[in-house]
Amino acid sequence: MKWKNVLRLINIDIKSGRLIRGQRFRRYRESRVLQYVIYGGSCLLGIAIGWLVGTVYNGLPDPNVREMLLLGARSLFISAPTLVLTYSLIFTMMGQIQRAGIKSSIQPPYWLPITWGEHTLASILANLIGVQLAMLIFIVSAISIVSVFIGEVSLAALTIFAMLTIAFLASATTEIFRVLQVRLTGAVYKSSGRAAIWVRFFGSILLFVVFYVVYFSFTSGANYAAILEAFASGQKTLWFIPYIWLGMALFSFTNGQILETVVFSLGSVAFLSALFVVAVKLNSMFGLYEPPAIRISLGAYTPKAGIWGRLGFSSSEAAIMRKDFKAFTRRRELMYFFVLPIVIIVSMIMPFMRTSQAGTLVPQELLFFSALILLMPGAIMAIMLGSMIIGQEGSPVWHLYSSPITAESLVKCKYAFVVIFSCAVTLACGAVGILIFRPSLRIIFAAVIESIFLIFSISAVSLRAGIKGADFVEIPRPRMIRPLELMINFIMCLILAGAILAPIIPYAVTMIGLTNLLPQFYLYVALAISGAIAAIVTYGFYRIAVKKAKDFLAEAEI
Amino acid sequence: MVTSSDSTVKLIGVAKRYADVVAVDYVDLDVKHGEIFGLLGPNGSGKSTLLKMILGLVKPDSGSVNVLGIKAEENPVAIKAQVGYVPESPRLYEFLTGIEYLDFTADLYGVNAAEKRERINEYLEALELEGREGDMISAYSLGMKQKIALISAFVHKPKLLLFDEPLNALDPRSARIIKDLLHELASKGVTTIMSTHILEIAQAMCDRIAIMYEGRLLAVGNMEELREKARLPGSNLEEIFLSLTGTTDVRNVVEALMK
Repeated sequence: MKWKNVLRLINIDIKSGRLIRGQRFRRYRESRVLQYVIYGGSCLLGIAIGWLVGTVYNGLPDPNVREMLLLGARSLFISAPTLVLTYSLIFTMMGQIQRAGIKSSIQPPYWLPITWGEHTLASILANLIGVQLAMLIFIVSAISIVSVFIGEVSLAALTIFAMLTIAFLASATTEIFRVLQVRLTGAVYKSSGRAAIWVRFFGSILLFVVFYVVYFSFTSGANYAAILEAFASGQKTLWFIPYIWLGMALFSFTNGQILETVVFSLGSVAFLSALFVVAVKLNSMFGLYEPPAIRISLGAYTPKAGIWGRLGFSSSEAAIMRKDFKAFTRRRELMYFFVLPIVIIVSMIMPFMRTSQAGTLVPQELLFFSALILLMPGAIMAIMLGSMIIGQEGSPVWHLYSSPITAESLVKCKYAFVVIFSCAVTLACGAVGILIFRPSLRIIFAAVIESIFLIFSISAVSLRAGIKGADFVEIPRPRMIRPLELMINFIMCLILAGAILAPIIPYAVTMIGLTNLLPQFYLYVALAISGAIAAIVTYGFYRIAVKKAKDFLAEAEI
Repeated sequence: MVTSSDSTVKLIGVAKRYADVVAVDYVDLDVKHGEIFGLLGPNGSGKSTLLKMILGLVKPDSGSVNVLGIKAEENPVAIKAQVGYVPESPRLYEFLTGIEYLDFTADLYGVNAAEKRERINEYLEALELEGREGDMISAYSLGMKQKIALISAFVHKPKLLLFDEPLNALDPRSARIIKDLLHELASKGVTTIMSTHILEIAQAMCDRIAIMYEGRLLAVGNMEELREKARLPGSNLEEIFLSLTGTTDVRNVVEALMK
């Protein structure tokens, strides 16, 4: 294996981040500071937190409390690799689902003098670059500093080694999943035609829902605590899972069981090697991906009058909406949008399950959870979809530039798509929320109305950002919007959502019993004021979106 | 604003700069109805930018662009409605099938259902895509994608066709069909402006040719006029092109590479 080739390939992956719309490509100059700022920041933050925790620990006067904290820190060190495993798996999987242009991004190695081993290793390591690496640097820095204060340097060194190894393990697992998914979808496509679209659609969603359930069951506290307890109390009930052997090795090390430490460590090395060999083998067997010919329709072509046309959209507006709907059900990287509301529901239900195990929900919690599940998914969908609906066009955006579509029509059809999609999400999530939390009719009524206000206004706000910050770069993954514009839009949406919801808050406060219940007419007045604010926001930002669309269509970036 | 003239495209003093790079340098051009007009020039000479300016995709820094009697800056949408455009290496929506893509583009131009069905089926048959129209575009070869892009440019019966390397990746039969089709359309008054690097195609197909270099129009005319301008009587287009663009040192370059 030529290590320089591996580094070159990783470097290409890092450099792919350059392709952001608006960058100057002629006489391109890279800012190394900006390139590594996320990692430097994570390191500094880790050091600061480590130092803070260490200082607090040293300042504690009670030796019993210090002893308790020391035990807690040891447990945390031991379980850190398992934590790294879960988030590395989630993030590397998320990275993979968003990667488009599989053929263009991974095929060049096949005609260059690069071995499958080099390609696989580079792919595994490159998968870790980004948020995963930043989090790893943060944890490593914090643990290193804390270990000096608590006198556990050797355990910390082993923990860090274990975390790095397990991050590699997670990424190797993702690599195997990726190749298998490519192979599997290819096979499904060949055999099942139109059904393949839905098999892939529901398959991808299911895969991510499973991962998120695992992730939240770990991070929401209940099961994670159980695992910590399992390690700490010496119950090695999970010994048969190779992914946690490194954690077991650390546990054995803290108990002075040298033989077990060595066995689990060697077992982990063997497992890691086996995973790598499997990944290389699978890549060499199925990695050379050729999209199979997918036949969706047969027979003579007959144009159909779509539902959008009957709803008053022009033929060009309806065509764009139909095309967008197909994009969201057929493009792997856009299926993420369907996963999002499910993730939100899972993340809300997990803490609720814990609370309900502990006892019955108090009115404050009931109102909070019900309102959240009725308001949040639709609003988040409107933010995400609105800000990315233009950028998701990718390089075929030249169709919009060259076709006789006006700015007004473009904004109308994109806005309608975002609103309809977000309302559907609110409906689905709301139904689940009502079944689980069983809120009163009044809560449902107010939350649904507010949710609609939020969707209409936030969609307009986000669409403006989506047009202004559209990013059509597709390789190695579609970005759809410039990160800065996305961030500004998110903050703006938060502020405006706060303003729209403000009139209803006094009534909500009285509903949870903090003060006497306000008369019911106040609810209707509050909803009317809220609606008026939403209407002003919607109208204003819709007009701005049309103006931005005029500029966008006037100066094609192709 | 509509002007009465026999020009399909009229550019007066059109210029465009990108930062410190001059893409188009004060170009005047007049393309008549029913003409097949070729744009030639080395890479980066401004051909694609000029095509985009005609379609209203790029705003000129100065000068005026008049297409089909409409000023580009006043009503680009009206121009786009009457133009069929195929860019160089067109990126299509790969998640659509061929037929869904053609349906989509025809709808963008507001073609009614009956006409759409008839024309799309005719073109699919002519370019031998029948039986593959239900396949996803991601599985098409480069030539098949080019055929689909070309059909989408013809389907709404445009008055002006703007093509950037239209015969790219086409098989000989399909290339011939497109060439003959363009001649037929020209005889019915449809104008074609095409940019190409294949000089034989330009010489055989185009009524007039413009040679661009560093954003400027070096010469415009039919073969005879170009020969006169280059002072190369009896020469072919390649010799004229190399002579006008000052790239006659080809032999020296090859010799240097062989050392």
